[in-house]
Amino acid sequence: MKNLSYIELLLNLLPQVALVVTAFAALAVDFVVLRRSDPATRFRVLGWLTALGLVAAGVMLFVQFGQVQAHGTYVGPLRTLVLDPLTVFFQIVIVVVTIITVFISMAYPFTTHVSEYYAVLLFGALGMNFLVASEELIAIFVSLELLSVCLYILTAFHKGMLRSAEGGLKYFLFGAVSSAFMMFGLAWTYGLTGDTTLAGIGKAATELAMTGLHGNGAMLGVALLFTLVGFGFKIAVAPFHQWAPDAYEGSPTPATAFIATGSKIASFFILVKALFIGFDGAQGSASWGAFNSGWIAVAATLAAVTLVVGNTAAIVQRNVKRLLAYSAIAHAGYILTGLVAANALGAASVFFYIIVYAFTNLGAFGIVAALSARVGGDDFKDFAGIYKRAPRLTFLMLLFVLSLAGIPPLGGFFGKFYLFTAALSADPKNLGLLWLVTLGIAMSAVSLYYYLILLKTMYVTEPAELAANPAADRIVAPWFLNFALLVSLAVVLWTGLAPQQLLGWIELFLKSLPS
Amino acid sequence: MEPATHIPWIASHLWLIPLLPFLAGGVSALLPRRCRKLSAGLAIGAIGISTLLSFCALAESILRGLLPHAGRQWSAMQTHEAWHWLTEFTWFSYGTTSLKLGFVLDPLTAAMATMVSFVSMLIFIYSLGYMDRDKNFTRFFTFLSLFAGAMLGLVVANNLLLFFICWELVGVASYLLIGFWYHRPSAAAAAKKAFIVTKLGDIGFFAGLLWLYHATGTLQFYTPDHTGALEQATALAGLPGIMGLSLAGTIALLIFCGAVGKSGQWPLHVWLPDAMEGPTPVSALIHAATMVAAGVFLVARTYPLFQASPQVLTLVAWIGAFTAIMAATIAIAQNDIKRILAYSTVSQLGYMVMGLGVGGMAAAMFHLLMHGFFKALLFLGAGSVIHGCHNEQDVFKMGGVKKHMPVTFWTYFVGTLALAGIFPLAGFWSKDEVLTAAFNWGGGWFHKGPFALGCIGVFLTAFYMWRQVCLVFLGEYRGEKATVGHKQVGHEEAETQHETVPGVPHESPAVMTVPLVILAIFSAFMGFSGLPEHANLIHHFLSPEHAPHHVNWFVIATASALAFAGLGVGHLLYGVKPLAADEPDPLKAKLGKLRDFCRDKWYWDELYEATVVRFANIAAVVVDLGDRLLDGVTVGMGLLARGLSFINDKFDEHAINRSFDGSCGTVRLMGRCFAALQDGRVQSYLRLVAVAAALLAFWFFLK
Repeated sequence: MKNLSYIELLLNLLPQVALVVTAFAALAVDFVVLRRSDPATRFRVLGWLTALGLVAAGVMLFVQFGQVQAHGTYVGPLRTLVLDPLTVFFQIVIVVVTIITVFISMAYPFTTHVSEYYAVLLFGALGMNFLVASEELIAIFVSLELLSVCLYILTAFHKGMLRSAEGGLKYFLFGAVSSAFMMFGLAWTYGLTGDTTLAGIGKAATELAMTGLHGNGAMLGVALLFTLVGFGFKIAVAPFHQWAPDAYEGSPTPATAFIATGSKIASFFILVKALFIGFDGAQGSASWGAFNSGWIAVAATLAAVTLVVGNTAAIVQRNVKRLLAYSAIAHAGYILTGLVAANALGAASVFFYIIVYAFTNLGAFGIVAALSARVGGDDFKDFAGIYKRAPRLTFLMLLFVLSLAGIPPLGGFFGKFYLFTAALSADPKNLGLLWLVTLGIAMSAVSLYYYLILLKTMYVTEPAELAANPAADRIVAPWFLNFALLVSLAVVLWTGLAPQQLLGWIELFLKSLPS
Repeated sequence: MEPATHIPWIASHLWLIPLLPFLAGGVSALLPRRCRKLSAGLAIGAIGISTLLSFCALAESILRGLLPHAGRQWSAMQTHEAWHWLTEFTWFSYGTTSLKLGFVLDPLTAAMATMVSFVSMLIFIYSLGYMDRDKNFTRFFTFLSLFAGAMLGLVVANNLLLFFICWELVGVASYLLIGFWYHRPSAAAAAKKAFIVTKLGDIGFFAGLLWLYHATGTLQFYTPDHTGALEQATALAGLPGIMGLSLAGTIALLIFCGAVGKSGQWPLHVWLPDAMEGPTPVSALIHAATMVAAGVFLVARTYPLFQASPQVLTLVAWIGAFTAIMAATIAIAQNDIKRILAYSTVSQLGYMVMGLGVGGMAAAMFHLLMHGFFKALLFLGAGSVIHGCHNEQDVFKMGGVKKHMPVTFWTYFVGTLALAGIFPLAGFWSKDEVLTAAFNWGGGWFHKGPFALGCIGVFLTAFYMWRQVCLVFLGEYRGEKATVGHKQVGHEEAETQHETVPGVPHESPAVMTVPLVILAIFSAFMGFSGLPEHANLIHHFLSPEHAPHHVNWFVIATASALAFAGLGVGHLLYGVKPLAADEPDPLKAKLGKLRDFCRDKWYWDELYEATVVRFANIAAVVVDLGDRLLDGVTVGMGLLARGLSFINDKFDEHAINRSFDGSCGTVRLMGRCFAALQDGRVQSYLRLVAVAAALLAFWFFLK
């Protein structure tokens, strides 16, 4: 462990500084040089610039990763910045996710406000970067807001499209309410424990929880509940999920990809940290017949509701992005199932899952972007029989969707497998969480139904009007999008064929943490 | 077990051997159809490197066998204990349990991998010529690579699960290749039959695998700390199983079911002759290097389990002996050149299984290796003949091919003598080993049975092979000389033909004959690696803990005499007076009804049709009825789920979205949207969230 002085802090924030510089560089280049170019060119040129900046940040993070591994954790003043191998690893993942998002955006030139779009994307990535690296309530809240505001803007970026504005507005409204909930919860937490660092809160909360549900113990319960409700909005678990379908459907597809992947990674990461460190003492239990107040009980209840709501509502969807939104809600349910294990295996399985899930969804949304840019819509009817026009993209979509459904040997299978194993390992003697795991497995069977309907639509269903010349009508993705898709596919296959490797890394990082 | 530091490079990189063909297959699967050269080059290059690596492994193993304590002394042939080089890795783990896979390099692996990769490589090269005109050339090489990769994978596996995965991949690849000309109904049916029949055996194998895992807690064959599944065989022998067998015996029996299916032993031999429907290189691959060898290899690999149970070994020996003699009798009455060879394979596999059953693991493996060479030679030779005779497969429509196809003839001649067991070719030594092992097995007459059957088999083998040589190569050509054009068996096949003068056989191109010559050389001389008594290198190498048998002149004399007798009788019937066109088989007059019985393959197919298939059909009807009942329940459940989701969605749509969708009709009405936000409905939604939070709190504090 190494405490950082302010100068060192700045040096260690160089990757994030690179993101900010890139954002402003993109704005400057756009306004000075590319004023008169057409949007497609600007999307490309600025996309490459943004990607370049992100790669630079990634390289710096990689160097930092080496240093952190060699010297142990770096701790900034007041634990506002904590750099350990796990954090830096996830920062790298976030940067990679953002690069892929940029590639998807370049294939989907939808607006004339190009540089603003990339800048907001970069600021969002910045928010995520800080979010995963802080262990202090105020820093967490500010990063979360930075991230959220960027996402609201991105959702509404499709100016002139009603659904985009509607989605953005809804997202903003519900986001604001959730922030209020969370702020309330965090304020109470601070009031009760007198500390804003997660570790300090954890210590005080453990003592408070001893008193049970009386006096300050009960107030801790209130604080915990409100914080969880706030997080529930961010990660879109039922019944706080209502913004998600509209936001997913309304956003420009690259932005949807970013919301569905990057923000999920960052939010779940910080949720795990907050619960495992901050509310360590107030766990409770969700074992069948032995429910006991605490975050586990709340999370398990939310998981069960989310699994049912997400998976059943997905069945009737007839829009691909909306379907993927409900699927995202369902997946949040699976992740919560692993979270309630409340042990190291649970944390590792959640981290494993969000990485696999992020890359799977990046692939899926990348394909949706490429296809809908040509067919002009993302309803099922637009995608009917698209196999004939885009055989390769459809095949990739098949792999990604099967991974979402959890079919071996794709990453999604082992993701779910680890989550469920973790849930069962929490209470190996009584298998207390068996009820939740059974529900999860049953619901993944349901999920297969709607995923297969999507695939059936793409492969089998006849398109409404047959193209006059299918050969000329072929949809071919530009090479950088293909590259991005193949990278995502590589991750999905890698985690499916050699799952132990990624999990082993995560477990190693977890072990290297001081607590 | 050597300390980890002393593991040679090849032992820790054994996985490269199966991986390369897999990669080649994977890449050429993605290639478009026109990339013929690239896909063939990839396949041959990959198997070539695998072959080199296998030779490295073999060399390392031989050195290990010769120099157990390197540097100290040259103590040739002095290791009397089994040894293995192991590598393992964790595939995935859950909690404290982990699933490990791994690879093993021991003499068995080294010898088998070398034979499999080498023979496969020659067959690949041969396919270049044979499949020349096929429009699905690329696909063919993809499947070939998959086939070879899967087979090599199971050879190097140190884990029953990995073994099983590769085993099933071999099955899949054989299905794809037997049915390669899938537009022919007979090929499609044969592929299906092969897949289903072998799958029957696999059920037993899988059950055995699970039971073994249950009993030992591991699926590794060998582990560094000697707790592998096979290393616990003696312990398993002390536990009770089923039917009065020990647990080791029960598991061995179940595993043997898998071997029976894959290696075409009675009663699951029926798929193997039908598998002739595939292109000839595939037949060669199935019959020599892969697939059928897998079953024998499985038994050899799990031999410690078998050794722990004499009853199962007895059963194995008798099944092998019976299969050997039964298939040989069928082979004498077949007319299709490939079918004769197919039944010959079944018969030879019977010998190997018999060898395993009588305790001669090294002998059986020796025969497997030698058989790999000469049977590949024979099949490729037959393919060359078929190719040269314009896709004619009926031996009665051939004849006199010798003068048209000299290289094919002489190589085929070597293969025939090797298979017949004539001194000093490979088959002589290996068959002699098997028969000697059978002869030395146990005491009473019961234990001499397999040996006696095996001896009769030797006579029959020599007879049917010589019959084939006479009919195909000697005499005058009986084919349809006058007809112009090719026999249109299938679209693709027609394309494989070379445009030459129709009606007259022609020699095959060098790309096909060179592999024949190489295989012929190996068939002729490889046998010297297994001379009896102390010079028996292969025996020392494969099972150092068992001393090889002494020379048994009685067995050698009997077998050789019978083999020559078989050749002689064959020559009397078919060689002395070559048959004219349309002349019936002289065997018909000599054997009468018995010959029909043999020709119709002992009516096994008909028997299965009348029993197993009919039973399956009846069962299908019953199960279908049951399914319909269940279906109702399932549909009901589905409706319920749909109803729930409908309600859920309507709730989303109406309670929440109405306010937006209803009012945001046009851009002009954006302002109204804001109004809609305030008209109470969204607030009521948010209120609902508050209620949910409150319920959560209630639930939280109640407990």
